[in-house]
Formats: sequence, structure tokens, C-alpha cells
Amino acid sequence: MKENTIKVLIVEDEPILAELNAEFIQRDTKVQVIGIASNLQEAKIMVEKLKPTLILLDNYLPDGKGIDLFEYIINNNLDSYVIFITAASDMDTCSKAIRFGAFDYLIKPVSYQRLKHSLERFELFLYRQSLQKHVNQRRIDELFNLQTKDFVDVNRHSKGIEEITLQKVKDLFLKTDKALTVDDIVANAQISKTTARRYLEYCVQTKLLTVELNHGKIGRPERLYKRLGK
Amino acid sequence: MRNKIQFSFTNKLFLSLLLFSLIVLALLQSYIWNVTEASLYRSLGDKAQIQARELAVIPSLIQYVEQKDTNKISELVSDIFQQSDASYIVIGDAKAYRLFHTANNDIYSPMVGNDNEEVLNGNSSTTISRGSLGLALRGKAPIINKGKVIGIVSVGYMIDDIYALHKKQFIPFIIFCSLLFIALFIFSLCFARAIKKQMFNLEPKEIALLVKSQKSIMESIFEGIIAIDLNYKIININQSARIMLGINVSDEQLLNHDLCDFIKSSDFIYGKDNQLKDIHDQICYFNNINVIANRIRIIVDDNIQGWVITFRNFNDINVLSMQLTQVTQYVDNLRAIRHEHLNWMATLSGLIYMERYEEAQSFIALHSADNQYNLDFITKHFQVPAVCGLLIGKYSKAHEIGLKLVFDPACQLKTLPDMITETEFMSILGNLLDNAFNAALKNPNGNKTIHLYLSDATDEVVIEVSDQGCGVDENMRDSIFEPGVTSQDASEHGIGLHLVSTYVKKANGYITFEDNQPYGTIFSVFIPK
Repeated sequence: MKENTIKVLIVEDEPILAELNAEFIQRDTKVQVIGIASNLQEAKIMVEKLKPTLILLDNYLPDGKGIDLFEYIINNNLDSYVIFITAASDMDTCSKAIRFGAFDYLIKPVSYQRLKHSLERFELFLYRQSLQKHVNQRRIDELFNLQTKDFVDVNRHSKGIEEITLQKVKDLFLKTDKALTVDDIVANAQISKTTARRYLEYCVQTKLLTVELNHGKIGRPERLYKRLGK
Repeated sequence: MRNKIQFSFTNKLFLSLLLFSLIVLALLQSYIWNVTEASLYRSLGDKAQIQARELAVIPSLIQYVEQKDTNKISELVSDIFQQSDASYIVIGDAKAYRLFHTANNDIYSPMVGNDNEEVLNGNSSTTISRGSLGLALRGKAPIINKGKVIGIVSVGYMIDDIYALHKKQFIPFIIFCSLLFIALFIFSLCFARAIKKQMFNLEPKEIALLVKSQKSIMESIFEGIIAIDLNYKIININQSARIMLGINVSDEQLLNHDLCDFIKSSDFIYGKDNQLKDIHDQICYFNNINVIANRIRIIVDDNIQGWVITFRNFNDINVLSMQLTQVTQYVDNLRAIRHEHLNWMATLSGLIYMERYEEAQSFIALHSADNQYNLDFITKHFQVPAVCGLLIGKYSKAHEIGLKLVFDPACQLKTLPDMITETEFMSILGNLLDNAFNAALKNPNGNKTIHLYLSDATDEVVIEVSDQGCGVDENMRDSIFEPGVTSQDASEHGIGLHLVSTYVKKANGYITFEDNQPYGTIFSVFIPK
């Protein structure tokens, strides 16, 4: 077994599904499936004996829940990363897995493309970690960002900001020195109220606008946006 | 097993009162009997002696006795005896031999009774002794001629006669006593009845049991209970209330304390304007504890005598209601999921059988893609795990009830503001979303989409939840953040928004709401970082 092989344990009680998964991920040459556990008891033993780098952990097992194994791994300081797999109906467990710091969370039925993506990201994560002899803050940040799923392309459009609309909003403020409400923006820029808030807050974030509070009616404050500076 | 006759308390009271008055009356009677008897004897004794002495100084009698002329004596004394009420009169000589006896017994026989010694020595006397006629009270006097005792006069009253007389005198008193006894009987009866009424027809044992069980009921209740009078003095308080308010003074001391020694200013308790009605399920602060409290009037004979305040720690209730709503949710979820799964399986097996593999693959991808996308979005944009968890939960809840929760693309959250705890923040977010869900369900015209904008990109954390729901009623707008105000069914508490506004205010933030286009409401919360 090569040094940089990723040892994977699959925890899945449906044998056909487990084999399919194993077959799929082994198409990647860097990945080696070292075991398939069909219940919680087996999985525990295999985690301790085989010390896998990565575990594909299904939540529903005949003798317990995958999340319990996850907890066990954390409590015993076992050096394994977890990709947590659960049904869409069991989002609550998913939120627990997030708290425990699972490397990724997949929804059943798992799209192989998504699984492939996740594996690639994991390889990159391990690679950068292994390169890292002298840890510095920038590297840590990089690693951290990788774990917080920056695989979705990050550009300003992902924030829902379009140049044309942004310019419309900006223009409204450039025309006047007065403070404007969301309603004013909605009326003049022909955007919805929910969208207006996004653009206004974006302008506050980029220091174009500032916020004032008008205590009009008792208990009903009004938020006013005003051009910063002049 | 003992089969003792059980008297009720009031019967026992009645009988003992009766017995007591009976004994008192009996003692009184015997005392009065003795006293009157003694005085009767004394007066009769005096009377007998006076008569005897009067007889003894009659000169003709002295002369006749000197001469021992029994006929003359008989003649003289018989006349006098006619005028007297004495039972008999006896005249004796100096040796205590009879010279005359009204009953005409043997003359010259000795006088019976052994009580003549004193008289023969020259002194008069009063004695009770048995004579020839029977037991009698006798007054005796010496007949003295020229300084020498020459005879005895003895005037006697028969004891039997005295007894008859005494009895005759005593009858009115017995009648009086009987009347008194009847009066006491009636009094005891009325008294026992009155007591019975005062004790709500309960036996003292039952009352004791009631008091004890009431005490243990008070102690077994998790709610804090305090009873106060009109001056806010504590009448009663249970253990839970003591623990919650940190009161550790003894019961005896407690009764001298005002409630305000333990609970500082609280409009809920001390407010003047709402004292005349009961208050239910009010959220307020006792000292620094957030409680949900009731205030019920104590009314006796149509007058307010005080209040009973019951309260619970609000956090406990939160946990409880959260657990309850989850249970009902799970049941509904499972049914829906099962149905959904069967349909999926049928579709898939159909596609595979028809060898339409490409479609089968995309069908599978379609069903997880939506959830996977949201999961990835949530975990990417919100770095607070608890908030992620909440949003994941709310997203799937919305899906289950036929709504769609849409996250604004600009959403982001790195950390929570310092002024607010994780729980409080979750409560704000959760309540706003739940309200939006409920409102959206109520409007058949809206598009069933709820938008969430949550961002901490600026100096503030901004939460904006907008729905296409039923909107806020015009006459509810000014009171929307007050507890108990709800546009939903009566089963809802109307505390959600009150909580939200309380927590927001606590974190120095503010909350606004306005109408959405074309329907519904937008709630916006701004909390400084």
C-alpha cells in the first residue's frame, strides 16, 4: 500500500449499496477501501483496528446511529475524518454532525458526482496538510477555508449582487443627500423589498451608506440609509 | 378488629357538654341540699331550745315539777304543745325520769337518749339522738328553782318530719335545676351544630388530613405558589417558590415579611391598575428570573382578601413545549416520508425495468440535489453550528408543510454578537420563521415562499424574514409585541414575538415590521455587534 493512499472505511448496512460505493470511490487511484462495516459494533472495531483516514458514515444502522460512532471517534481521539451520509428527512442529525465537525455531509440518495467532488476536496485537504511542515496562520486559514466548503465558486455574484441593480441603488443616493427608507428604494429602483435590503446592506458593508434610526411612532423605529460623507 | 361505636366530633362535643352540665347541676344540687339541710337543722335546733327554755322558766311549771304533780304538768304542757309545731315535749325530774310525755309514754321511766348530763349540770343543749319515738332533734333546757336544777324540758322534732319538710322545700329548686338542664341541653345542641357548620361538616381528623394533604400537594407542585393578603404580606408559600426566589427564612419569620422583601418591584404583583382581575400566563421578571406567572384573586364573601400567585421558570416551559411540538412533528413526518418513499421506489423500479437508466439516474439526483444544495449553502454561509442546525431543521419543516424557505444569496454569519446568547438568538430566528410559516399557510393567495436574509457583514447582525402570508391585522399593530397578542388560533400563546422583542431589546437591538408586496409581512431585526 502506497504511502499517500487514502484508507477509507465504508459504514453502510445495505450490502449492495456499500459495494457500489466502494467500487465507485476506488475508481480514484488514490483511494483504497479497507473495509465495509454493516453495523455499529463492527464499525467500532474496524475503526480501532484499521485506523482509516476517512469514513463514509451512514446514519441508519441496524444497531444504532452513525452519529454515535462519530461521537465515539471524537471522544477517543481517533484520527479519522468523517463524511456523514444521511436521509433528507433526518436533517436534525445532520446539524449535530455539523457541530461535531464532519468533513462533509451528504444527503441520500447520494449523487456520485457530489461524492466525487467531496473526495477530491478531501485529497486536496490532505495534500496541503502534508505539505505543511511550518504551520503559519495563512496556511491555517487556507485549510480552514477548505474545510468550510469553498468549492462553490466564490465571486461577488454568489452574494446576489448584480452590477446594474447596484448602480440603480447607488444612483438614488447620489441624487440626494437625504436619508432614504427601503420603501423609497423599492418605489424608485423597481426591485422587491427583500432584494432591496440585500443591496442596501451591501452598500453599508462597502462603506457607501450609513444607517440612521428614526424613532417615529413609539415602538416602531424606522431604518434610514444615508450616503456616507457628503 | 374493634367495633367501637364511632361518635362524630360534634356529637362527642354535644354529649360531653351535656354530661358536664349534668355533673355541675348534680354537684350544685347536693351542695344546696346540704346547706339548706344544715340551716334547717340549726334553725329547728334553735327553735327547740328556745321553746324548751321558755317552758323551763314558767313559774307554775317550776312549782309543779317541784311538787312532782304530773297531772298539773300534763294539763299545762298539753295546752302549750297544742300551740307548738314540735313533734313532742318531755318534762323530766332532776334524775332524768319522765314526769310528762306528749305521747303519753310511761311516766317515771328514764328519759332515753343519753344526752341529759349537760342539762342536769344547768346548761341548755341541742342534740340529735334516738329517743323512745325514734331519731329526733331535741332542744333541752334545765328547770331551775332557787339555783338548783330540779328538772328537764326537752322539745323534740322527729328527723323524719324534718326530712319531709326539707324535701318539700327542695322541690322548687329541683324544678329550677331541671329547667336549667333543658336550657343547657338546647344550648349544647345549638353550639355543636354551629361548630359543625363552621367546620364545613368535617371531622377534626378530616380537617387535619385536609391540611396535611394540602401541604403536601403544595410541596409536590413544581410551580412556585405564594399566597399574599391585601397588604402583600405572605400567607403561604411552597418549597418551589422558596427555591426559585432563594428564600431561606423559617415559616414563623416568613409571616412577618412583606412579599417585597423577596420580590423587588414588579408591576405584575404591585401594579394598582390590574388588581381587580385575574391574570393568566403573563411573562415577567421576578428579580432576575424570567417567569410565566398567574395571579388569581382570593375572594371570600364577594370581597377580595388577597391573591394567589403561581409561577414557573419560563425556560423550563420553553424546553417542555419544544419537546412536545417535536413529538407531534415526528409522527406527521414519518407518515409523509413513507408515502414519498414508496412513490420513489415505484418510479425507480419502473425506469430500471424499462431500461431508461439515464432517467433513473437523474431522477435520483433530482431528489437529493435540492437538499444537498441547501445543506451545502447553509454550512458554507453560516459558521455558527447551532444556527446551521436550526436552519436545516426549519428548511425541512417548511418543505414538509408545503412551503419553501429561500435563503438570500447574501446570507452570512461568522459569529454572534456578544450581547446575545446562542439560545436567545435561536429563539429570535426560530420564532420569526415559525410565525412566517404560520402566516404563509393562512393565505391561499400567497406564493408559499419565505425569504430569509441573515447577515453580519456590517456592524450589525441583520435578520429579515419575509412571507407572503396573511399580514398583520391593522388593530393589532400597536400591541403586536405584547404578550398574549396573536393572530393565530386561541391555542397559540402569543408569546413568540414578545420573546423576540424582549431578547432584541436586551441586546440593544431593534425590530421593525412592514407590509410585503403583494401580501404578507417583513420582520426585520437589527442587533449591534
